Amino acid sequence: MRAKSLEAVLLVTPALLFLVIWFVMPLARLFSLAFVGDATTPAPFGELIASEVYRHVFLRTLGIAALVTIVTLLLSYPLSVFLSRLRGVRFFLALYGVLLPLWISVLVRTFSWMLLLERNGPINKALAFVGLTDHPLPLLFNDTGVLIGMVHVMVPYAVIPLYAAITRIDRRLLLASDGLGASPLFTFRKVYLPLSMPGIVAAAVFVFLLSLGFFVTPALLGGSNAMTAPMLIAGFISDRLAWSLAAAASLILLASVLALLWFVSRLVALPQGTLVR
Amino acid sequence: MKARGVGVRLVGISKSYGSVVALQPTDLAVEAGEFLTLLGPSGSGKTTMLNSIAGYVEPDRGSILFGGTDVTTMPARSRNVGMVFQNYALFPHFDVFANVGYGLRARGVGKSEIARRVAAALALVQLDGYGDRKIQQLSGGQQQRVALARALVIEPDVLLMDEPLGALDRQLRKTVQLELRRLHELHGRTTVYVTHDQEEALILSDRVAVMHEARIVQVGTAAELYTAPVDAFVAGFIGESNLLPVRVLALSAGVARIEVPDLARDLEVMASPDVAIGRPARLLLRPEHVVLDAAGGVPGSIDEIVYLGEIISARITLASGAQIWARRLANSPLERGASIRVGWAAQHLRVVAER
Amino acid sequence: MNSTPLLVRVAINCLAAITLGFLVLPILAVIPASFNAASFITLPPASVSLRWYRSFLLDGEWMMTLINSAAVASLTTAIALLLGTSAALGLQQLGERASFVLKGAFLAPLVVPVIVTAIALYRSMIDIAMTGTIWAIAIGHAILALPLVIIMVGVSLRAVDPTWHLAAAGLGAGRWMIFRTITLPNILPGIIGGAVFAAMTSFDEVVIAVFLAGYETKTLPVKMWEVIRIEFTPVAAVAATFMILLAMSLFLVVRTVGPRDVERPS
Repeated sequence: MRAKSLEAVLLVTPALLFLVIWFVMPLARLFSLAFVGDATTPAPFGELIASEVYRHVFLRTLGIAALVTIVTLLLSYPLSVFLSRLRGVRFFLALYGVLLPLWISVLVRTFSWMLLLERNGPINKALAFVGLTDHPLPLLFNDTGVLIGMVHVMVPYAVIPLYAAITRIDRRLLLASDGLGASPLFTFRKVYLPLSMPGIVAAAVFVFLLSLGFFVTPALLGGSNAMTAPMLIAGFISDRLAWSLAAAASLILLASVLALLWFVSRLVALPQGTLVR
Repeated sequence: MKARGVGVRLVGISKSYGSVVALQPTDLAVEAGEFLTLLGPSGSGKTTMLNSIAGYVEPDRGSILFGGTDVTTMPARSRNVGMVFQNYALFPHFDVFANVGYGLRARGVGKSEIARRVAAALALVQLDGYGDRKIQQLSGGQQQRVALARALVIEPDVLLMDEPLGALDRQLRKTVQLELRRLHELHGRTTVYVTHDQEEALILSDRVAVMHEARIVQVGTAAELYTAPVDAFVAGFIGESNLLPVRVLALSAGVARIEVPDLARDLEVMASPDVAIGRPARLLLRPEHVVLDAAGGVPGSIDEIVYLGEIISARITLASGAQIWARRLANSPLERGASIRVGWAAQHLRVVAER
Repeated sequence: MNSTPLLVRVAINCLAAITLGFLVLPILAVIPASFNAASFITLPPASVSLRWYRSFLLDGEWMMTLINSAAVASLTTAIALLLGTSAALGLQQLGERASFVLKGAFLAPLVVPVIVTAIALYRSMIDIAMTGTIWAIAIGHAILALPLVIIMVGVSLRAVDPTWHLAAAGLGAGRWMIFRTITLPNILPGIIGGAVFAAMTSFDEVVIAVFLAGYETKTLPVKMWEVIRIEFTPVAAVAATFMILLAMSLFLVVRTVGPRDVERPS
């Protein structure tokens, strides 16, 4: 048995070593810059916290993430219910419809939205054609565009854990509730919804975390009008090589992510396998 | 029957997992060519013992000998054992031929030799020509035979079988049991078999080792275990039994004088070795030895009747409130609720110690 | 639910169908855009032509990025497969607590925002003068792909019955023979799935690549990023179309040959 453990350790070590060298150590190196500061920014944390602009960016990042999460859940829940009731070819077609977007680069997906949301783009043209608007809506380079683009990216990530949780619901419980005389709404509120809660929580956490760290979509669809924390960090490096500011901002961002995870893990036990996809 | 394989000796084998004792220090000797079954309920230690012989489990103490060779520290791979698992453990990505020949491949046997021996093994289990079938295409019984062929083809010193018939339905099980018996007569290899089904153990084995709570309680032939069980557990586990609480009054030369409250009298009966004055004991009365209309017997009433085909089984409530079962041929009918006088065949009674 | 009122069921189905359409159709918007004859993108195109396709295929720089992306993806897959398969095998043999902690560690790259990973790696690559190399980008992508491979091979491993290994050992097979003849054939779907996932992750990835790629080692997404931000010509749509085609083919490969997952209706 001891030989077995040794073998297991040896098998796991290369990957672990790889991560330590190329992931953990670089992160530590980066974060150290946040505490040391450099010539231009002796106190990066101070600067970030003091500046209203930067504070605003962080808050707006949280706000957008929250909004994206809510809208995504609202769209993903019915889709997951729908998916759970399909069989045969239709199931696979719908499933592929949900999973395929995950395979396509975020860049491509975001680019598509850029084309669609333009002032003279097809969406505005269609809205005008149908008569809903009399002048083109500004859907791009603002929060609306970012919201649409991010929700589009996030829905598949939400459907996966939601679907997993919903298919785990024992149908017989619903039949039992019905048989006991409960109205469909009552059954939904008291049986279906609570049982799908682990999936909802998993999806919400997943989407929120991803949204916090998202760079490409807000950068292209929002531009400088809708600055998010990741864009700020990227800007610190590419525009001004302000490493300590970038490091401090990264640390704050990562800390928020970890805090959220810790907080959620205290409240709820995620069902096994929801994140394993 | 030509005895093949080697004798297996376990000396002082014990195994614990943390605070759980899986095997108390135990000895066991299996003759070369013998079919011995480890029989017991779950948790009795029989699977641990089997896995120790196989080499999958390393005992904390004790030694295991194959023939004269000490194999205790040898890994499973180096011991020449053939194991048939409960779920057969057939390799799903190989066909029947590749499965059966796997052990020969591992031993570096040449291709033509493998082909010859696999064909012979398949013929033995009556699966001639099944070599290129996929495992998934086989029925449960056929898979079981492939597993057996795979274990036998390597000409093992010991054949080990871990409840291999558990997944089969009752009818099939009976057929396969007789089949295994026949095969053993053909191949003659030392076989250690594990099961919790006492009927199966009695049908298949030369000897049975009854296990309970991590130790071997009694080893013997079917007849020995049935007529001379060493304690109440064996008595109750093998065959049907009535076990009435008794008090041991006197004991000499293997005969005990006991007070039997439920029968309202004292009796003198054969005693199993562990019986002692003052120790809790039970009277073993087999249902077939209960007489249903004995003059001068104990009053009781029939409260349940079960028809088992040619046998009729009746539950009788005695005056004391105790319930016993009686069994006889279904020649004449019994009436539920009838009052009867219960007797017994005195020479078949036995008193056994209770653990 | 048999008792769901028809109206509710119809509403759910409609909303779901709309959401599905919302998911799939916008992606396809780039395809017509790539056929634009003009040098600015209008959707739908005012006039159609293949000129941007010709532009893309004949352009040395675009082709170079294609080759770079392929090279990086291959390296990423090799690294992630070797390390990930080994780790998945090891994890399976470890006790519950140890494997739980390690699994958390291996999933960490998915939790840390990519931008943070990217600049951290960028900083360290600068320190050791490895920026702009194919290896640097591959390492960055391997960090992201490693958890995916571990998960996929892990899924396959769970379908492997441990008694097969016991049976093989009892029959006399050594560790290496058992791995070669028993374990490997049965985890092949997971390995293939992991490989494809790793390749696609690398091919699609833009954030890490933007920071780590040099001029000679620019990957396809990086060039697309530049074109989108600066020129915004239909050639970006052509590149996007190619990426979609590649993604779809690999997706189908994985669904056919990859591991059987739990996403089947019971």
